[in-house]
Amino acid sequence: MTSGLEDLLRELTPQVLAALVRRYGHFDTAEDAVQEALLAAARQWSAEGPPDNPKAWLITVASRRLTDLLRGESARQRRESTWILPEHYTPAPTTDDSLVLLFLCCHSSLSPSSQIALTLRAVGGLTTAEIARAFLVPESTMTRRISRAKQTIKASGVPFGLPADDRLPMVLHVLYLIFTEGYARDRAELATEAIRLARMVRRLRPDDAEVAGLLALLLLTDARRPARTGPNGEPVPMAEQDRTRWTAKDIAEGVDLITTALAQGPPGPYQLQAAIAAVHDEAPSYAETDWPQIVGPYELLRQISDNPVVDLNHAVAVAMVDGPRKGLALLDNRLDNDHRLHSVRAHLLEMAGDRTAARAAYREAARRATGLPQQRYLNARADRLAD
Amino acid sequence: MKYLILAYGSQRDYDAMAGRPTEGGPTWTPSDFEAMGVYMEKLNNDLAESGELVETRGLTAPVHARRLQLRDGVPVVTDGPYAETQEVLAGYWVVECDSYDRATEIAARLLKVPGPADYADAVIDIRPVAESRHEMDL
Repeated sequence: MTSGLEDLLRELTPQVLAALVRRYGHFDTAEDAVQEALLAAARQWSAEGPPDNPKAWLITVASRRLTDLLRGESARQRRESTWILPEHYTPAPTTDDSLVLLFLCCHSSLSPSSQIALTLRAVGGLTTAEIARAFLVPESTMTRRISRAKQTIKASGVPFGLPADDRLPMVLHVLYLIFTEGYARDRAELATEAIRLARMVRRLRPDDAEVAGLLALLLLTDARRPARTGPNGEPVPMAEQDRTRWTAKDIAEGVDLITTALAQGPPGPYQLQAAIAAVHDEAPSYAETDWPQIVGPYELLRQISDNPVVDLNHAVAVAMVDGPRKGLALLDNRLDNDHRLHSVRAHLLEMAGDRTAARAAYREAARRATGLPQQRYLNARADRLAD
Repeated sequence: MKYLILAYGSQRDYDAMAGRPTEGGPTWTPSDFEAMGVYMEKLNNDLAESGELVETRGLTAPVHARRLQLRDGVPVVTDGPYAETQEVLAGYWVVECDSYDRATEIAARLLKVPGPADYADAVIDIRPVAESRHEMDL
């Protein structure tokens, strides 16, 4: 399948599914029907080219398939469910269909891993096999996870509409999780998909500064991907990355987005993180980074969230501005089991000239790191400090 | 005077029209379906031209129906509530014409729809429409 065709199908997936659910209900079965229609389209359109109206074609084929699937089901059982008329329910304008689907997939009754899997399939148009591959689990496991998620949504009886409470933060959180999963596992396709979905949400909510902030954060972080791992898969810390390999186009777009968003009012957490990422991305080198510009947003972040990783990064920034001793004094032992705390401690001790303590801290960090490349890197740092 | 003309079909009829083989029943070919479409279109055009057509609609397959009922005071939805062979509303016409007999004449054309189906047991209902609540009082 050509990438043009794949892009077209991905873009149409949420629109076709939304059209079906809006018209006929049955989120769970409709989702299966749409997947089958997508497969049929991929086969037929590769050979013959897409029809004049691809969306109408997909809706027609998916509707027929839905009817067939329902026929099969109703022969086995009558479907009966309690219908509680929601008190606060705004019928969604059709332009927001993709967003309604995102709200459904990020429903609070689902676990984060189910939210991610369902979002990738129902909104992202990825096949179960593709999602399973990205998460390194067997396809049967992912199939079960997705069908359980759909059962949960069905049982919760949520109507197809915009929820009264603004669930946008939950949607943004799921997109952020998809991105960080991709980042942690080095699966570029997940990061790319998270960015694509964030762009979609931005089109639907162009005035929301946090949506812009999230998209900016993802772009500014992903821009460093080409430089963040070495030839043997080992992580390259930001201080040592070859900045000429960063993606300039993404940095420009991210900086643009975050600059506009920050002018809109008090920033939320994604905007603050994007602001920090922008300062890093625009610095010619690690040493020449505008560290005071990084301390500021970290301090605001610490006020709105209680996150030990934020505290850790804040300590690093303070050390770069006021010296390593100031940074060391801020380290928080809540992360004692996390190699990141020990890496940072080692790094700051090294900056302060305490080679012995630094070496011990690098060894400690290596002991707690889970990945082999990470362990190798930290042990090498410790070896470098041997007298 | 307005009349409502009602046509019926079962899930099995819908399946047959979609080309799915049904037990003991006929299977429609695409050209059968096309011929029926042409016939219906002609009927509707004639009614539109004579000014008698108010509205006409066909309904989707019965499997898509939802039935709402109170159970212990709580509204409960049943999806696809009909048995496979149960005849249910499949389409309707609202016509405005001079007399009940004229509406019946129109409805009779529906019994002559071409197709492989056996219409021996088919029924079409014609119902005069009440124009107001006061008319209901009579």
